[in-house]
Amino acid sequence: MPDMVTLSRSSAPGQPQQRQFNPYTENGGTILAISGADFSVVAGDTRQSEGYSIQTRYAPKVFRLTDKAVLAVNGFAADGNMFVKQVRQRLEWYRHAHAKDMPLRAIARLIQTMLYARRFFPYYVYNILGGIEEDGSGAVYSFDPVGSYERESCRAAGAAQSLVQPFLDNQIYFKNQVPQPGRPHPKHLPLTTVIQLVIDSFTSATERHIEVGDGLEMYIVLAKGSPLHGLESIDGVQEMTATNEGERIFIIRRNLKRD
Amino acid sequence: MFLTRSEYDRGVNTFSPEGRLFQVEYAIEAIKLGSTTVGVRTDEGVILGVEKRTQSPLLESSSIEKIMEIDTHLGCAMSGLTADARTMIDHARVTAQNHSFTYDEKIKVESVTQAVCDLALRFGESVHDEEAMMSRPFGVALLIAGIDELGPQLYHTDPSGTFVRYQAKAIGSGSEAAQAELQDKWHSKMTLKEAQILCLRILKQVMEEKLDRHNVQIAQVTTDKGFEILDETRLTGIIEEM
Amino acid sequence: MSIMEYNGGSVIAMVGKDCVAIASDLRLGNQALGISSNFQKIFPVTDRIYLGLPGLATDVTTLRERFRFRVNMYTIKEGREIEPETFAHLVSSTLYERRFGPYFIEPVMAGLAKSATGGFKPFIAATDLIGCLNFAKDFVVAGTASSKLYGVAEGLWEPDLEPEQLFETISQTMLNAVDRDAYSGWGVIVHVIEKDKVTTRTLKGRMD
Repeated sequence: MPDMVTLSRSSAPGQPQQRQFNPYTENGGTILAISGADFSVVAGDTRQSEGYSIQTRYAPKVFRLTDKAVLAVNGFAADGNMFVKQVRQRLEWYRHAHAKDMPLRAIARLIQTMLYARRFFPYYVYNILGGIEEDGSGAVYSFDPVGSYERESCRAAGAAQSLVQPFLDNQIYFKNQVPQPGRPHPKHLPLTTVIQLVIDSFTSATERHIEVGDGLEMYIVLAKGSPLHGLESIDGVQEMTATNEGERIFIIRRNLKRD
Repeated sequence: MFLTRSEYDRGVNTFSPEGRLFQVEYAIEAIKLGSTTVGVRTDEGVILGVEKRTQSPLLESSSIEKIMEIDTHLGCAMSGLTADARTMIDHARVTAQNHSFTYDEKIKVESVTQAVCDLALRFGESVHDEEAMMSRPFGVALLIAGIDELGPQLYHTDPSGTFVRYQAKAIGSGSEAAQAELQDKWHSKMTLKEAQILCLRILKQVMEEKLDRHNVQIAQVTTDKGFEILDETRLTGIIEEM
Repeated sequence: MSIMEYNGGSVIAMVGKDCVAIASDLRLGNQALGISSNFQKIFPVTDRIYLGLPGLATDVTTLRERFRFRVNMYTIKEGREIEPETFAHLVSSTLYERRFGPYFIEPVMAGLAKSATGGFKPFIAATDLIGCLNFAKDFVVAGTASSKLYGVAEGLWEPDLEPEQLFETISQTMLNAVDRDAYSGWGVIVHVIEKDKVTTRTLKGRMD
């Protein structure tokens, strides 16, 4: 919890005392996003902790922004929630000013400017934005707390980033794997494979990291007119969008170990 | 309207009992004194054409600037008090740059027009502690041409802060005749070339001087090249074709 | 500056079906500066026991000699080769002797233990720098890339891998983990221990 500390010095009356306010804390958890040719998956666990205590087993870290954009926020939960609120407000303003939903790359740039605006009192959060670009391709953008950003096809962040990212390097980018002659590695993986990798990543992280666990929330954004790619046969999948005219968003929830 | 002059035509922020703002209406009148400016929209792009009136043979006509760039995909032609337009175009440019800085995309033509019109109404007597405002309405009308995801568009703005989209529009001293001609000649299947020639023909009709490459200026906004003011060689080419 | 990260380096050991594997990177550094790309941190103890010593390089050398001495003394006194589990306890007690001035090493060991029926049973273990033993059934990791190794191994490892599959699994785990660690890398060495042979392979890795 953000707190005030009195630095121990002479307690004699009339002597100056030094106090220090630490406005930040770290609330654990991990987020992850992977993009495919015409889809994007954004996931996060739902445990929120502080030190060795679990504050809640269900605090979402992944938020739907528009029909084609999902944002995952990890780090200091209070900052994260406030940041998402402000991004949503900016999206609404943009809709009123320009009579359209903000495109994904515009959201990415907006997030950069919003984060950099607080360069000297940053939001203590790592952001991962997933969704569908204007050209219909799946996309992932990752950010540091002060707005440095990059489009990638795969990114993990948070407490278990160091556990998950090298696994993803190997399984998504096929790092350190030599392709068979004439059979190059696929540029994009099928949706069902990606979902399985996300679940595996979180079960692995839950197994070895105390701040990860309880629940998993996975958002899947499908491009306009894209087939379901076997999503319909996945257990407990729920659609969040009302129509299948434009992009569609689905959510899959899974339990993770609670110990 | 000049018959009803009263104390109401002095204050810029005072309505007359008939519900009119005289200063704004006078500002609109000021445009009719300006040189003729035409804009034509086609599916390939938008053409802007202006007359550059030279009162003296000693005046360097190349120094008259009536068409200006707002952004790579946006251009603007003016008629009226062109000095006022500089403030507006400056605002439009800042708005467009701010948009691409914040959103990494080109601003829409309507949005930049809206921004200019928001500025047009910021006149009035400044109140203590408030940011100093403009003392009178702008005396200029703009034709804003551009291309965005909705295709080529042409907007007209006037000193009242109203903006309307047109397929073809003329403003300035010869605007009545020019607009009538546009209405007659414009068609939806028009090519960019045809639009260039139409612009020049109309300017030629309403101009007092004989049209040549020194006293007119043509600019266009196309998907491929964005905004460009046509150089003398290209302008001469079109004049010859006309 | 953490002493454990002064020279860099990582080790992992995994259990397979009737086999075990142990692998390490080959980097020796002085903080961010790379010094050597052929610094061995895994050493044979017997024909069927290998010991990895990630941590402070000076202690790697010292401990290697100390363990060689103590294993030789054990072999002479007992008149037989040391068993993996016994060796693990030897490692543990050697480190605990220096409870309040420890060697900055977190040993990892892998071997095949003789079973009562005359067969061999895979054995792996690791300790912290003061000798607290960890007998895992699947894999053990240590060094500057340990959190990465945990993540990848947890995702790739499965029970009863044949020697070749185990080699592939431990190699991929090591390579991908050290590629995300600035203090580990510069090549990898893998030993697969089976009842009748030990296969040692050196892998090329990213040199950055």
